[in-house]
Amino acid sequence: MTQAELRVRDLTVRYGKVVALRHVAMHIDPGEIVSIIGPNGAGKTTLLSAIAGLVPATVGEITYEQQSLLGAPLERTVRCGIAMVPEGRHVFAGLTVLENLQLGATIRNDASAVEAEIEEYFDQFPILGERRHGHAGLLSGGEQQMLVIVRALLAQPRLLMLDEPSLGLAPRVTEQIYDIIRRVRDDGVTVLVVEQNAGRALAASDRTYVISGGEIRLTGPSTELEKHPGFEAAYFGLGEGVIE
Amino acid sequence: MGYVVQVIVDALSLGGLYALTALGIGLIFSVMRLANFAHAEFITCAAYALFALSGHPLVMAVSAAVLVAVALAVLTERVAFRPLRAADQATMLIASFAVSVLIQKLLIFAVGSRAKPLDPLPVLAETLNVGGVQIGLLKIVTIVTCAILLLALLFLLKRTRLGLQMRAAAEDFTMSRLVGVRADVVIAVAFVVSGVLAAAVAILYAAQTGFVQPRLGVQIVIIAFVATVIGGLGNLWGVVAGGLLVGMASSFLQAFLPADLRPFREAILFLAVILVVLFRPNGLFPARGLKERV
Repeated sequence: MTQAELRVRDLTVRYGKVVALRHVAMHIDPGEIVSIIGPNGAGKTTLLSAIAGLVPATVGEITYEQQSLLGAPLERTVRCGIAMVPEGRHVFAGLTVLENLQLGATIRNDASAVEAEIEEYFDQFPILGERRHGHAGLLSGGEQQMLVIVRALLAQPRLLMLDEPSLGLAPRVTEQIYDIIRRVRDDGVTVLVVEQNAGRALAASDRTYVISGGEIRLTGPSTELEKHPGFEAAYFGLGEGVIE
Repeated sequence: MGYVVQVIVDALSLGGLYALTALGIGLIFSVMRLANFAHAEFITCAAYALFALSGHPLVMAVSAAVLVAVALAVLTERVAFRPLRAADQATMLIASFAVSVLIQKLLIFAVGSRAKPLDPLPVLAETLNVGGVQIGLLKIVTIVTCAILLLALLFLLKRTRLGLQMRAAAEDFTMSRLVGVRADVVIAVAFVVSGVLAAAVAILYAAQTGFVQPRLGVQIVIIAFVATVIGGLGNLWGVVAGGLLVGMASSFLQAFLPADLRPFREAILFLAVILVVLFRPNGLFPARGLKERV
């Protein structure tokens, strides 16, 4: 067995009496794009939040590069090499675009390199460059999504986690966001993306986990899952299976 | 004309003190959603430190006051508020009352409840003659000190990395931690700054009133809280404006109300506050995004 970059074992998360995740196991290998899909309330966001340290695990184990992630303070996550882009974009609305990006590099101490990198991103995403001194809250939804992804990348993560990056965006803008995600992977960053838009996620990822009712129902290479006869049943929590 | 200038100087110096106090409270509120009533005791204890060292060189007394306020601020954060960080706002508010009353009672126990005379800045007792108008040097120094502290804080928040992290934490605490901002550091710095501001207020206020007693800080902080509500808690510049506004309104009422209405000065002031809160429940300068957060 190869050493997975991220490994989740037997993860159970409870909110009070509600069980949000039940004995979830998953892994991500270096350089993959892995997607997690499932209906609303399936536990996708909870899984991502547990990895990021936003919610505590009731039972189970999460390791990143053989180090346990459990019980560490939230600000440790990014220092381990994991950058999280939570659902709903979360730009610092009252701060400028430039300040948002500078905050992305909070854990770095190479100020001049950061500055140069930010300039490169401004060249790559001219709309952010034009608005660099404007409040981030005034950007459109797609621009904000772009901003939070670039902000996450400025921490130089080895694993980028995105929660519903296409939520509320026009199809054309979603396309742009996924272009960025592909480019990020080409630069050697592993990607874990949560999506409600199953078609979008299957098309963009190497492997997919289908999660429903807090359990992983189906997993396998994305191209094969698409054609799998049990796919819809799994999506709605009716079947279970692994395609190897 | 001279009288008007004097009144304006008075109003600015009182408004400045309220603004600094409100700012100390607003800073803590913005990073951890704690309305810290114990800020009153930061001020009171700093004033007692001044009293304890009166007769010693001014530098020593002032440093002691700053040290005591900062140490107390950091200590209360560590002991009382850090364990409650995940608790809701009401719990933290009650805890801050508890800390406030505890320190007040300890002070009464230790030094008695009687007011003690205090003159920390005798060198400033003189009056200046500015174009035929007599203006107390202390008032001028108060205004200048307030302005310098405001500018210093502006510099910290706008021009330093730490300040940027504090502003990010104030906007979205969880997200700021996800990008790597250390919660403990940002909150500790906020408490240090609020301690420094409390000490400055203690020194200037004690110099103006000339005595210190265990409820010295409470008097100021109650008004400062009114100022933060008027200005809009969560928005630092709103809080500063609220402090200035309340201090100046109070001075102007004192100066220009007919003599038989003067006893109702506070009543008129608080009536204005009620009107503000009725029509602008989030304050005159509401914080961005405060509604969806609370």
